[in-house]
Amino acid sequence: MKRYLYDGTSEALFSAISWILEEEAEPEKVLLAEQGLTLFDEGFFINTNTAKAESLFQRLRLRAPDAASTIYLFMLAEQRGMESSLLSYVSLAFAHGDRVNGYLTHPAVRDIVSIAKRAGRELHRMKGLLRFEELQDGAYLAKMEPDHNIIQPLASWFRTRLRAQNWFLYDVKRCTAAQWGNGKLQFGTIDQFILPALSEDEKRVQLLWQTFFKTIALPDRKNPGLQKSNMPMKYWKYLTEKQDKAMI
Amino acid sequence: MNTLEKLQILSGAARYDASCASSGSKRESSSCSHGNASQSGICHSWADDGRCISLLKILLSNDCRYDCAYCVNRCSNFVQRASFTAREVVDLTLGFYRRNYIEGLFLSSAVLQSPDVTMERMVRVVEALRREEQFGGYIHLKIIPGCSSELVRKAGLYADRISVNIELPSQASLQRLAPQKERAAILEPMALIGREIASSLVERHVNRKAPRFAPAGQSTQMIIGASPENDFQILRLSQGLYKKMNLKRVYYSAYVPVSDDNRLPVLASPPLLREHRLYQADWLLRFYGFSAEEILSDDLPFLDETFDPKTAWALRHPEFFPVEINRADYATLLRVPGIGVTSAKRIIAARRFSAITPEGMKKIGVVMKRAKYFITSSGRTFDKLDRTPAFIRQQLLPGEPIVVQHSRQLVLPGLYLSQP
Repeated sequence: MKRYLYDGTSEALFSAISWILEEEAEPEKVLLAEQGLTLFDEGFFINTNTAKAESLFQRLRLRAPDAASTIYLFMLAEQRGMESSLLSYVSLAFAHGDRVNGYLTHPAVRDIVSIAKRAGRELHRMKGLLRFEELQDGAYLAKMEPDHNIIQPLASWFRTRLRAQNWFLYDVKRCTAAQWGNGKLQFGTIDQFILPALSEDEKRVQLLWQTFFKTIALPDRKNPGLQKSNMPMKYWKYLTEKQDKAMI
Repeated sequence: MNTLEKLQILSGAARYDASCASSGSKRESSSCSHGNASQSGICHSWADDGRCISLLKILLSNDCRYDCAYCVNRCSNFVQRASFTAREVVDLTLGFYRRNYIEGLFLSSAVLQSPDVTMERMVRVVEALRREEQFGGYIHLKIIPGCSSELVRKAGLYADRISVNIELPSQASLQRLAPQKERAAILEPMALIGREIASSLVERHVNRKAPRFAPAGQSTQMIIGASPENDFQILRLSQGLYKKMNLKRVYYSAYVPVSDDNRLPVLASPPLLREHRLYQADWLLRFYGFSAEEILSDDLPFLDETFDPKTAWALRHPEFFPVEINRADYATLLRVPGIGVTSAKRIIAARRFSAITPEGMKKIGVVMKRAKYFITSSGRTFDKLDRTPAFIRQQLLPGEPIVVQHSRQLVLPGLYLSQP
């Protein structure tokens, strides 16, 4: 079986896929892997060609828009070692169009779609579970530690929702941040994070929300299992309503 | 009394309302506005009872003039009373929304001096939110039965969803437990809302800028277990509401004992399983193409407690099965216990590529625990399963399924030695 290698960046990945789809008659039967990840690095190294990668994505978006957004979500998962599956998926997407997402009996399609689904689910979840805190200068800050690298789509979502206020989004795990202000959305990295002082009103509003959270539950119907399955504990760290120390 | 104390009282009084949906409405935000509404709806948190929180669910006031036996806020009950000012509700909503705690506001109220006075105060709150604060988030507004139709119309223009609670499944129960409420006063605004929604949709076809009327539709709620109606009556009522009044949702709320009034049944705990089964049956009505008469009948007026309504139906209709998954249409697939809307769609999408095998079913994510007794794949059954309803019933009972020992062909040692 033929082996191809690429340098690990997503641009290189897509230019490699583009190259293989052009050169190989049966792209499903070749392997594609990141260079330096395995002990035996045998294989043909494909150089990165940004233009090729972009053109592949453009063509895919026209041919199969659903598949293109599935790949976008899949990339947010930052999953390694699945290049060969992605290659088969792209090749099947060109062959079948958007119907490819229904081909769940195919192992490659199932792998890509299920990972993309997981990323999409977390993105949707964070739209609800993100919590902003008001800072002294009137801007708002939200911290998070999601499993997937969802800061870009999440920030674009909040750009339309909270467009009348200035805010920051900070991914603590990846040290990346998004900033919205003066009609502009910017992304960047943060080396050293110092929590700015909160506004005077912030504690009062947090207390109101914690009180509401407590009283809205029906005491006769307590169901902590259901609560945890809907809202996994890994997200509680930044949830205002789950900060017990602030409770009265 | 400060806002915190009021919030404690008025959210505690609103928690018996089951509705929490924030879906069905899409609104773009403009440059100076706060928020938008998402078509799919978004849950922001889950309370200790496991129910989702997507809206700031509060009463404007719990100072009620009525004396409904099943309600905590009835005037004869001794509870602390409180009322929000319009400003307080607006500030709470915006403060929570800016921090992404909520998707919007759910505002209901106890009946103050009169239905009109109450409704007018509620409408004033949402008017302030929409007009003065340019609030673009989701708003669910309760309609107080008996208020003027002018106020209902106004409410529908500001809110995404409006709802009138039907409270109890029959006129007789309503008369007994909520003597100040009239069934006609409940059904009338429902019908009015239905007509207004329909005509606004027609108008928006002609003119895209025509105002939207309750774009997320209307819903209602009834209390289960506080009155003697059976499940069949309840389901037929829901079916009528969906079909004739075009409702989006009927919520069922297991009666939580809040009073020792002798008109009410004595319950050790709220009938949660019954509520759960009713929701399952409700889903069958709305998404699975079942009718109330298929699920229950006069001879069988209550939903089975051990089996979900679809499994119960399947056990009563062995002639319908087995269903061939590679050929059956969508409506037929939906009737198989264990196959839901998602699985049925996946099966149809996957079989366009190749026939689905038993392993394929597992791969595409169909849960086979129940389905395997009711389907075939390319004519073959799954495992070697007995398919008599009695056996399936045994297997599907909660707890450990009985392991069936298939009788195996015994081979005596040495018998086939002479053959190659």
